[in-house]
Amino acid sequence: MDSDFLSLMKESEILNSDVFSLIRLLLLSSINSLGEDGVTYRELKAGLDVSDGALFTNLKFLEKTGYITCEEIILEGKKLQSYKITHEGSLAWEQIRIWLKKFVECGGRNNGSK
Amino acid sequence: MDLNKVIACLKEIGLKPKINSFQDRLVIQKVVYLLQCKGIQSGFGYNLHVRGPYSPVLTKEVYEHKDAVQKLVTDAKLNASDSKKVEEFKELFSGLKPSLLEVAATYSYFAFQQHQDVITVLQNVKRMKSFYSETQIAVGVSKAKQFLFMPNENDLAEMKEEAKIWQDASIKNMRG
Repeated sequence: MDSDFLSLMKESEILNSDVFSLIRLLLLSSINSLGEDGVTYRELKAGLDVSDGALFTNLKFLEKTGYITCEEIILEGKKLQSYKITHEGSLAWEQIRIWLKKFVECGGRNNGSK
Repeated sequence: MDLNKVIACLKEIGLKPKINSFQDRLVIQKVVYLLQCKGIQSGFGYNLHVRGPYSPVLTKEVYEHKDAVQKLVTDAKLNASDSKKVEEFKELFSGLKPSLLEVAATYSYFAFQQHQDVITVLQNVKRMKSFYSETQIAVGVSKAKQFLFMPNENDLAEMKEEAKIWQDASIKNMRG
């Protein structure tokens, strides 16, 4: 258990802790899951049920970090903003996802559950 | 997964997709999902994403076989039963409007795949597709029901009532 915990702490060093907020994790996960297709701003707003302010700020952050890109697309004649995951973003999300899974499993064992 | 069958369906529908177009890729996703709900199995697994039901594997396949999809190259042939279903789809969703397909697919996911109750289904569709108007949602839901639902007497009466409200509203709207 101790070695698990220590290796978990060691592994956490490669993670980008700036992404560790609920909304940023949800955004990364959602945008990553639609890969090449990208996700529109309005889909993220409706699907994640977040305010424009929070959504805009956090999308800008992820864009600045190089994890997502933004492009204009046309849907039914309307111009919309669409966000796509970058290679770096996809790698970062995969590292976080794997680490979180281990973290939850390790936490469960530390609580004495089987 | 049977991309050949998907291409055969697209061919029958008359969709000539451009894979670089966001709209066309979205339409393919929703067409395949709705046809699978109707029983035309092409083996693509769908899960709920921010876009509603979505298959990342289908997107991957479409990109990998971009030329075949765009040129509608396939050796698959639909059987009579599948052709009939596609024909029905074509009639109901003529024009392949993405908004209608999105609403219809999302409604179908909650109603026919998750078997949620009517109120919960509508709440979920309205939440996920809140950027569409009430009318767009009502039409999409109605199309999904028409395509996938085998109504009994009560359901028919309910649908008639529902349609009347929208019909009255649009007449009122036209009269200004």
